[in-house]
Parts: sequence; C-alpha cells; structure tokens
Amino acid sequence: MMYPWRGEFTLGSQDSQIAIDTLSSKMDFPPELVAIWGQHKTENLGIEKIVANVVSNPNIRYLFLCGEEVRGHRSGQSLMSLHANGIDGNGRIIGANGAVPYIENIGSEAIARFREQVELICMIGETHLPAIVKRIHEIAAARKPPIGEPLIMEFAERRTSERMKSLSGKISFHKDLLVDPYLDVEVMEAEKC
Amino acid sequence: MLNFSTEQAIVELGDIRLGGQPGQLPTVLFGTAFFGKKYASPDAAALEEIREFIRAQEALSGMTGNPAIVDIYLGDCESIPGRLELVLEELPKNRFISVDVPESDVRRKVIEYAGQVGISHRIILNSLNLAAESGELDALREHPPGCAILLGYNPKDFSVDGRIDMLETGAGYLEKGLLELSQELGIKNVLLDMGATPFEHSAAETLRAIPVMKNKWGRPVGCAIHNTVESWLWMKQYRKDHKSEYLACDAGSNALPVMLGADFCVYGPIRNSGTVFPFVAMVDKFMAEGAEDYFGITQDDNHPRRKLG
Repeated sequence: MMYPWRGEFTLGSQDSQIAIDTLSSKMDFPPELVAIWGQHKTENLGIEKIVANVVSNPNIRYLFLCGEEVRGHRSGQSLMSLHANGIDGNGRIIGANGAVPYIENIGSEAIARFREQVELICMIGETHLPAIVKRIHEIAAARKPPIGEPLIMEFAERRTSERMKSLSGKISFHKDLLVDPYLDVEVMEAEKC
Repeated sequence: MLNFSTEQAIVELGDIRLGGQPGQLPTVLFGTAFFGKKYASPDAAALEEIREFIRAQEALSGMTGNPAIVDIYLGDCESIPGRLELVLEELPKNRFISVDVPESDVRRKVIEYAGQVGISHRIILNSLNLAAESGELDALREHPPGCAILLGYNPKDFSVDGRIDMLETGAGYLEKGLLELSQELGIKNVLLDMGATPFEHSAAETLRAIPVMKNKWGRPVGCAIHNTVESWLWMKQYRKDHKSEYLACDAGSNALPVMLGADFCVYGPIRNSGTVFPFVAMVDKFMAEGAEDYFGITQDDNHPRRKLG
C-alpha cells in the first residue's frame, strides 16, 4: 500500500519523482508535477510520517522543503539533519535544533533507505509558488530511475499493557491505581488522621 | 468526584495556589500569547491585541475564580525582552509568568535574561524536558526559576509507565529523572505535565497518567490536551467550515483532565479564554460539589462554586 501512514497530505501523480514538504505554509501544486505534498509541523512524529511514506514510493527521488520554517520545532532543519546525519544511538537526530527531535517509530532500514532514496531540494523560507514550480520543472527534467521496491513500514501499533479487569467491584485505571467507588468515607477520614 | 489517599501538596506561586485534592482549588488556566504567524513579528496593532487578550483573561479569571497564567511563546532570542516586558506590564507585581520555549538554546537565553533583570522567582519554565542541553542546565543552576513544568513526553514509550519513567529515571535520554534533576537544579516548585500525544499515539494515556501520577507523587498535575484536538486529522478538515464546533471541542477537551484530577490546563491560544474559562469553571463546580458531598472538602469564596452561583 502506497503512503501507509496517515497524514495531512495531497496526492498528485504516481509517476512523479517529486515530493514536497511545505512546512508551516499551506500550498497547492499542479498534481501532474508532484507525487505528494503537504504541511509538516513536528520534528519527531511528522518526520517519521514523511520518511515512512516516501520510502513506500520508489519513484520519489526528490524531496522539496519549502514554505516557512516551523518556529520552535524547526521541522525543516530537523529533516535536513536527519537526511545529512541520521540518528544517534538514542534516536536523536544528529544536528537537529528542533524541540524534541527524536525518531523512535521507524527503523534504521527505513532511515537508510530514505537518505539514499531522495535528494533534498532546500527552499526553506520560499513561499512564492511560481518560484517553486519553476524549480520543480528544472528538477523534473533530470529524471532519475526508481530506487527499487517499495519499502512499507507498518504503522507501529500502540503499545498496550497486559489486559486488566476490575477487581472486587473496583475500577481499574492502571496497574498501580484501582479505585473503589464504594469506599466508606468514615474509614477514609480515619486513615487521614 | 474522586479523592486520593496520598497527601496532595498545594503549591503557591505568587498570588496563585494550585494542587490539593480534586475539587479543593480551582483549576489554573494557562493561555498562550504570541503563538502564530501573526505574532512572529507583531506590529503595533498585534501588540495591542495581545494586551487585550491578557486583560480579557484576567477579567475572566476575576469573574470565575479560575487563576490565570500568561504563557509566553518564545521561538527566538530576539523577542525575549519585548514580550516579557509587555506581559509583565499587564499583570500584578507578584504574578508568575510561564515561558513556552521549544528550543534549548532559547530556553538558556530566557533563563539568563530572567536572572539578569531579577524576575527568575516569577518564572514558570515550560518546560524542563528530555531535550535539555548542558548550556540550559548550567543556566538553570545559576538562575533557578520559581517553578518548572516537568514534561513527561517520552518518544520511546507513550504509555503511562513510559511517561512516569521520564520523570523518574530520564527514560534513557537523561542521566536522571526530571524530578531529581529539578531538585538538583534548585527549582523549588514543579508541576507535572503528562505530555499530550495525538490520537493513535496513545492519546488516552495522557489522561490516564493524570490520576496515576497525582496518586503516585501528590504533586500538581496537568496537560495541554487541546493539542490532541488540534492535531486530529479529521478535525483539521472539518474545522475549515465549522469554526465554532471546533472551538467547542477545543475548550471541551479541558474537561477530561480536570474530571480525572488535573490541577492545571494549558489551554492553547489566549484568544480562546472566553470559551475556556466558563467551561472549566463549570467542570470545577461539579468537582467541588462532588468533593464536598462525599469527602467533606469545602472551597473558599474565590472558587467558581461560590463565585458563580
């Protein structure tokens, strides 16, 4: 399945080799020129979605970064750092200045493939659509072959704890917190004293 | 509605008190100023608008009894003095202000600036988190703020246990947990923020963590649950033509942590105070009545229960 991770994106031509990250700016592009585009707010989960979706389409060989940078999160700078440097042993994007630039839900295989698959076209700060479209035309002329097979990263299922059930009429919130809705108030006040 | 068997600390920040048992004190509401493109390089009109938002939040706080904190978004170093000065001009002299600073290097500068101008004791650092770098920690040690929000966000594990791990041990990202770290840095007051996550990223664990952490540590807890609503994909489309419905969901989300025992809510843009304050005041009234009916906890005259008959 192409683009397996849900997100705020628009799909264009499946044959296009261009994906566009518009960062905090809302933009639309001619669908015949671009495979997928959308905004990108966060320097962790947002980057994971972009990587997972890009590697699912081997036709994508160029990733444009344009629009206004996301203040504080530095999502564009963080994505460029991931592409240039990868992550350290703790999952931190090396060289990223964003608030919490950690990659935890996609594996090293996907990151390596992403770094090999796409060339970044940095136009961070550019919001003038004609200037970006002009650059798209220039890049589209230098067509690269697809990079092989799609790499599909399944969206990591939420971690679930061991299934719990309420015990002896108590309500279970968590393994460390059971609530007794019928607790005698007198007993409780005695405990407080 | 609920009561914890562990003793619940009450934290005093200037003229504001928060914590205690659910229903005891009104929920403290943090409204964020200067967030959004419009305020990145604000002109005179935008600055005046910010002042009006702060005054409106103060007026709503006075009316409902829900204490208000101005949370100042700071995305760069250049804006630090101007924004802090503007907000301080609008507030009582002993009121704390919160500084919402995503980047560690900018946090360092804010902490240093606050120390230089003598307002460290009125600062709530939002937040001390896993991305704190050595320069920031050195600045904190030299100029400890009056309060810090400790962020339970743990990118490796969004479960309640993962969030607890961040506060207790540092979850492998830090050499020690944020609780111990804040103590070492000399920060006297801390608030625990569960670190709201989006839907399908264990959003409900943000809420579950509220009673679990409050029960575990007996300290004030809260979160910015509106972020979960803001990042909801379906809502991003729906809100384009249904702004008032979106604002209802945005404000309404704050009921969830408060019902589970939260002491504070970081409710998002300060311009939304008009919707959020009456809503949370209403929830506080339910919680207060429930606390008295069943646990004998009473409220003073400044509680929404008393002020908003």
